[in-house]
Amino acid sequence: MSGLSDTRTVASAAPASPPALRGGTSVRAVVLLATAPAADGGSAALLPWENETILGRLVDQIAALGVPRAVVITRPAWESDVRAALEQSRAAVAIEASASVPDDLHIVAQLAGGEGDGGLVVMYGDVVTHTQALAGLLADPRVATGILAGGKRKQMVFRIAARRGRVTSAASPYHAVHRPTSAFLGALKVAPTDLEALGRVAERLRPLAANPPAAWEEELQRKEGMWRLSLYRAALDEEELTAEPGAAEPPAEEEPVPLDPATVELSGEDEAHLRHRVAAAPDDTAALLLVGLVREGAHIGMSYVRRLYWTRPLSSDDAALAEQEIAEIDEDRVLLDSAVKGADGFFTTFFVSPYSRFIARWAAHRGFTPNQVTTVSVFIGLLAAIAFATGERWGLITGAVLLQAAFTTDCVDGQLARYTRQFSKLGAWLDSVFDRTKEYLAFAGLAIGASQMDDPVWLLACAAITLQTARHMSDFSFGGTQQQVLAASVQPPIEQARDSAGAAAEARRNTVVDEPDQPPPRKPLPARVLSAWHVIDRVPGVRWVKKMIAFPIGERFAAISLTAALWTPRTTFIVLLAWGGLAAVYTQTGRVLRSLR
Amino acid sequence: MSAQAPALRVAVVPARPDPIPVYRDDGPLALALGRALGPVVKLPAPLLIVLGLLALVAAIVIGGPDTSLGVAGAVIAWVVLTLGIASGTPPRPRIRWAEPPLMRATEYTALIWIAALEGPDAYPAAFALLAALTFRHYDLVYRLRHRGVVPARWVSRLSGGWDLRLIVAFVLLAAGALPAGYFVAAGVLGVAFVGEAVYGWLAVGRVQRPLEYEDEEDEGQ
Repeated sequence: MSGLSDTRTVASAAPASPPALRGGTSVRAVVLLATAPAADGGSAALLPWENETILGRLVDQIAALGVPRAVVITRPAWESDVRAALEQSRAAVAIEASASVPDDLHIVAQLAGGEGDGGLVVMYGDVVTHTQALAGLLADPRVATGILAGGKRKQMVFRIAARRGRVTSAASPYHAVHRPTSAFLGALKVAPTDLEALGRVAERLRPLAANPPAAWEEELQRKEGMWRLSLYRAALDEEELTAEPGAAEPPAEEEPVPLDPATVELSGEDEAHLRHRVAAAPDDTAALLLVGLVREGAHIGMSYVRRLYWTRPLSSDDAALAEQEIAEIDEDRVLLDSAVKGADGFFTTFFVSPYSRFIARWAAHRGFTPNQVTTVSVFIGLLAAIAFATGERWGLITGAVLLQAAFTTDCVDGQLARYTRQFSKLGAWLDSVFDRTKEYLAFAGLAIGASQMDDPVWLLACAAITLQTARHMSDFSFGGTQQQVLAASVQPPIEQARDSAGAAAEARRNTVVDEPDQPPPRKPLPARVLSAWHVIDRVPGVRWVKKMIAFPIGERFAAISLTAALWTPRTTFIVLLAWGGLAAVYTQTGRVLRSLR
Repeated sequence: MSAQAPALRVAVVPARPDPIPVYRDDGPLALALGRALGPVVKLPAPLLIVLGLLALVAAIVIGGPDTSLGVAGAVIAWVVLTLGIASGTPPRPRIRWAEPPLMRATEYTALIWIAALEGPDAYPAAFALLAALTFRHYDLVYRLRHRGVVPARWVSRLSGGWDLRLIVAFVLLAAGALPAGYFVAAGVLGVAFVGEAVYGWLAVGRVQRPLEYEDEEDEGQ
């Protein structure tokens, strides 16, 4: 009767079932917050789900992921119901009754300071999502401390801002995010190394949550106004119905609010929804802990739900709808689609990923590991280089085809790793090193082949390897220093409602108000060039053209194959140097401008 | 921000080495030059490296493969001097990312040019040497990224750093030991780099570190 068997039933109707999860998690316990009220005033976590409750389903999902222990925190009024709901559960569950958020925080602090190996997860006890979405956070060793993140348009969530895979700002009932990029989907994993910080943050938040500072209360009122306006707009605009009212904040918080929230009239239903949202908002221990950790400077990564299902039902009707919706989803297909990397280039996205994901699924069901696929890929790359080295037309064509096969298998290994959630540091290193190996082996093969054809191109090959390595070094160094800038940026104290970007924006507005006659200060030239450069991204297709100019790996392998098969190795190197040189000028100009602004 | 006290900051993981000095791959001579002259010269490091690279490019354009050994030696000495001083000038945080790519471009171009002075027959050997060196330079990045460590000290000493490599390459040219010298260097270094990397993975410590960034290539957005 567990939630897991439900998932299996759903999946068996689909063409293929998701691969079994391998390896365990490094999580010693999950803290489930069954503290949020449903619309009828009961516990949202105890809303019915098939033959049990949402909370019961979640406890089973967590046990299935290999987490040894769950701790359910609930309010005293719901304690007996929670006990009854979890009675038949075979998982190890402890139930703690807590009267308020400060008491929740105290329990978390004690767990953080407790004995045991592994980290802690703090999450909402009323979330309905795929087990695979939870696995993405709990079982991925690359996310040490991190959150489940996803779409901004979800119900009952707070937003976050992230840069370079790191949470830079998070919202809570009392905290605002300037320019959010995503949302916190109610699950926070804290690695053992950050548990001390978690405990400290929890204790520091206790007195503040018990007696919120004026700035916090002000922020909550501002949020109420925003929610009221977004409900109002949603009601006006039929097309915006998908925007799940209650979560939406206006995208740019700098924009002046044209309507006064105090004068806006909502329908009875919307008014009730708003009342509920405002009443439930302060009761969000998980969001407060996340803001606390962000403000403490902890490195918090993200695991995105992508196209997997996630919702927080507020009523039995919501829960029934969620049951229906999750049953309609082909979990395996969604998981497979989510395994495709989001930031790939044009060639990879449109010419390789559409079919490589099915090879990844085949490999998963055959039990191949990503590292095996990586090794096969470099072996095919070696064969391609040998074929190129013949210098014959058939050899060049065979080599071109083999190189594409090697590139496809290279995409497969990453997708297989994400699909089966088998990540390893060795795998990541091998994948990176073998990518370079294949490319430079192809250079060597082509240069040998050209010598066979009495048209030596070793100098061009040397130039190509120099250009490509220097281009990569620029990518690595620029990325590395940007990371350092993020790590060194000072976070405002937890008492402050606005994040640093929000505070800076407010300061800018205030200077304009103070000196209304002065024109706003002109931005420096590099900043203006960069904003103009980003504006043209809105033209359809421009984003892809820019990606192609940067000459990413898919384009490079395609260029090698095509030119070698049709022309000669000399053509290949000339194209690589010309396109690579253009890419170098393009990206370096962008980076210099960004360094100078 | 304002006048409120800054939030407490804690080191959550053992400090990761600063990547830029690791990527530069300086040898003992370069570091000594940087310590001695860097604080005096004070020019931005990327500018110094460009000065070295420009001299090299000028020599290639003007003299090409016919440059005399003496002039070539002076150009290599200038390159070692400028890039070496760049290792010790006061840091410019906003532009220091430009140092490693410029250094690799300079080092590899110089190695190719030294081969060119020997003659076109030395190009395959230059390619082999560059291939071995790229393994080290990518490994410096990927090991730091995925495990937060740098290669063992003995292998870095053996590699010499870019400075000693350039000097040894020039000595090989002057001694008439090219292209065989490049092939031998490529073989020795290649075996050492790959062997030490594999050994490093076999003896891997289990340190949990956060993922720095997921994307393989930063495409300048």
